[in-house]
Amino acid sequence: MRIHQYEKIWIAGAMILIVGFIVTITYGSVGLGITMIGDEEETIAPDELNDDEQFGEPRVEQVGENEYAAYVVAQTFIFQPDPIEIPANNEITFYVTSRDVIHGFYVPGTNINAMAIPGQVAELTVEFDEPGEHGLICHEYCGSGHHTMEGLIVVQSEDEFDLTELSAETPDTVAPGEQIQLNATVENGQLEPLETTVNAEIGDQTFQQDLTVDGKSTQNVTFTADSTQLGVGEHDWTVTVDDYEETGTVEVVSNETDEQAGGDES
Amino acid sequence: MTALFVDEYPAEARLVKAAFLSSFIAFGIGALFGIIQALHRTDIFRFIDSIKYYTVLTGHGVFLVIAFTIFFLVGLYQWAVTDSLERGPVDIRFTWFWYGLMAIGSFLAAISILAGFLEQPPMVLGAELRANVLFTFYAPLEANPLYYIGLALFLVGTWLAGIDWFRTWWAWRDENPGERIPLRTFMVLTTMMMFFLGSVGVIVSILVFILPWSLEITESLNPLLTRTLFWFFGHMIVYFWLLPAYLLWYSVLPKLSGGRLFSDPLARVVFILFVLLSTPVGIHHQYMDPGIAEGFKFIAMTNTMFLLLPSFLTAFTVVASMEHGARQRGGEGRFNWLQALPWRNPAFTGMALAGLVFAFGGFTGIVNAGMNINYLVHNALWIPGHIHAQVGTATALTLMAGSYWLVPQLTGNRLVGRQVALFQVVLWFVGIVFMTNSMFRAGLVGVPRRTAEPQYQGFEYDVPVGSMGELNAQLALGGTLLFISAMLFLVLMLLTVFNNDSEPIVDGTLPPALSGPEDSPQVLDNLRLWFGIAFALVVLAYALPLAGIVAQSGLFGQDIPPFPVSSEAVMYLEFGLDYVGALVT
Repeated sequence: MRIHQYEKIWIAGAMILIVGFIVTITYGSVGLGITMIGDEEETIAPDELNDDEQFGEPRVEQVGENEYAAYVVAQTFIFQPDPIEIPANNEITFYVTSRDVIHGFYVPGTNINAMAIPGQVAELTVEFDEPGEHGLICHEYCGSGHHTMEGLIVVQSEDEFDLTELSAETPDTVAPGEQIQLNATVENGQLEPLETTVNAEIGDQTFQQDLTVDGKSTQNVTFTADSTQLGVGEHDWTVTVDDYEETGTVEVVSNETDEQAGGDES
Repeated sequence: MTALFVDEYPAEARLVKAAFLSSFIAFGIGALFGIIQALHRTDIFRFIDSIKYYTVLTGHGVFLVIAFTIFFLVGLYQWAVTDSLERGPVDIRFTWFWYGLMAIGSFLAAISILAGFLEQPPMVLGAELRANVLFTFYAPLEANPLYYIGLALFLVGTWLAGIDWFRTWWAWRDENPGERIPLRTFMVLTTMMMFFLGSVGVIVSILVFILPWSLEITESLNPLLTRTLFWFFGHMIVYFWLLPAYLLWYSVLPKLSGGRLFSDPLARVVFILFVLLSTPVGIHHQYMDPGIAEGFKFIAMTNTMFLLLPSFLTAFTVVASMEHGARQRGGEGRFNWLQALPWRNPAFTGMALAGLVFAFGGFTGIVNAGMNINYLVHNALWIPGHIHAQVGTATALTLMAGSYWLVPQLTGNRLVGRQVALFQVVLWFVGIVFMTNSMFRAGLVGVPRRTAEPQYQGFEYDVPVGSMGELNAQLALGGTLLFISAMLFLVLMLLTVFNNDSEPIVDGTLPPALSGPEDSPQVLDNLRLWFGIAFALVVLAYALPLAGIVAQSGLFGQDIPPFPVSSEAVMYLEFGLDYVGALVT
């Protein structure tokens, strides 16, 4: 086959360019370790998501030192959880699936980009260097409300970040002379033990207790107040642990009146 | 001057004109939808509901990249086969049959899309008549079955068109034993081989999975499988849009430049490379998909990079042919020959500008193909920037420019408004530069594609240079110029069709190449061989990924129900949203 000399040079140049592109991309994968979303994850049927250990309750979880997993479910037209709170300077592995149609999982301006396909789980590992807030959007058309589908990724500094959960409760009503028991539960989702102080107030009585919650466990604290001292009527209570606060009311009801007052707890 | 195509082959010219008419109608509607989107998504002028935006978007995609391009292709290819083999089809009734199938198919798909504008769409085949699923129709989003039936008929028609041209060629071969396949027919046959191979994916996806599922014959499907089958077809189809432009660049552009094609053998090599490589690359559209192993993505990436080769070869041959033409016209110097080119000829200028944009679009395509850089741009506005440079200009502008040359020969009428035509092609170029510049830059800051309102509550885009307002203004300005240009083109075509009392001033003869087919080995014309190798490459690239997807979650998926995009579904969704919202808080 007769090929003009110039054209031969051109073809050779084109081939060098092509091979060069392939080499740079290979270097990106092997040398820099930019992995592609692959097929490592098990599949999961969308109608079994609610019963799934990981996606049943979409959340962020610590899985190792400086390593977190974020289980995200995309569905028309929201992301769960929202916001997704994660620590800076830690490896975050997102596991993303869809409950219904094909969605996207994209943080504009970054390389956090994946498809959420029903039945499949996309896995991608990222790290944020700086605390801050990033918009999360669905970038695959998913139906009439597609353009409203957004979430938020909140990156907190390492010191600030925790996976602490606080819940607290008292009886709604007590009779005068009975003890008021305030039960507070502190859950530590991180691997390291949590050393903290629980502060509580019931009416005008204050309590304080130091507490150490081991990694991935839960501790209960009970504070007891005397209802006689507080007197008949509604009393506010508050429990705080670090930045978390729970509040409610308890009513001391005299024996003569049988009124039920609605307590509040969450 | 030789006889015009319409005088030599009046029956075939009628078919080509019919195909072009269908193509141009689709082009007009698609262009209208384009400007609506450009103004809507930039929030410059919104007169439709954002839900209807997706009807517009579906229409824009289907009318332009399915109907406009492929109807033009079948018209152009019918002309190319007839003119280069100097004979008509074996049976012209068969030719009209496939055209009819394509017309009916596109009509059905069109009404199912346009019904999306109705407040109360009629019930057809047990479902609301709507198809707000975009041209990629990713399941489990569901359109009315009529949409899929329309697409299937259209594809079958296109298959039959290919078979028709093969029959014509077989008949010609019997009459001309031992002769090389004329170049334009060679291009047509190789394009269709590529189409036969690549369209298998989407045909299986529609006929085996999506259509039965939308008719409630099957209950579930595997969304990753139908998506992968779509992209099996989806990258081949971009070359199906592009190769008619290549045919014009290789056969008509050298002549318009005043010279001859530089190399016939390399033109053949280029088309063979497209047959071999345009299908086993589809997975590069799925770099971000879970469920496909990284290794398969890597293979698709390397294949894609080698697919650059035929386009590089084309750049050389086309520019060399233009330079040859310019020197025939008296052009001299290292670059001064550029001035000797016939820039006042809209057909030439349109094709040359299209080629220029194609080069730029090609480089953006390399970015997309680079699988790890793709994280930055996948589904961002960058991607439509690339598409509008490629099919929206390399193809569309070349087809318009080609029409200025070809339509007079098909009608026997002189082109009306040659100066306006020149303005029109330059206007398209200016419009696309504004619009794609905005799309590329906006894509890099993360503005997503395919959305009615890329404005969000929770964050703002971080535009390093300029502002979102400036990017939006450029996009809207570019879109408006493109729309005006498209309308000018259609008006000129209409006036030319009715310009009866005139003689065209085009010469339809195409000179032979400088280096003719005799310089190339006979094996290039062994179409069976190339088809066999292409088939083997597709099997290598796709057998394992497809088997993996089926093994993981089954041929029909894990209980994936349809998700109709209708008003009722919206209410249902809103209810579901409240319900979920209540659960969360």
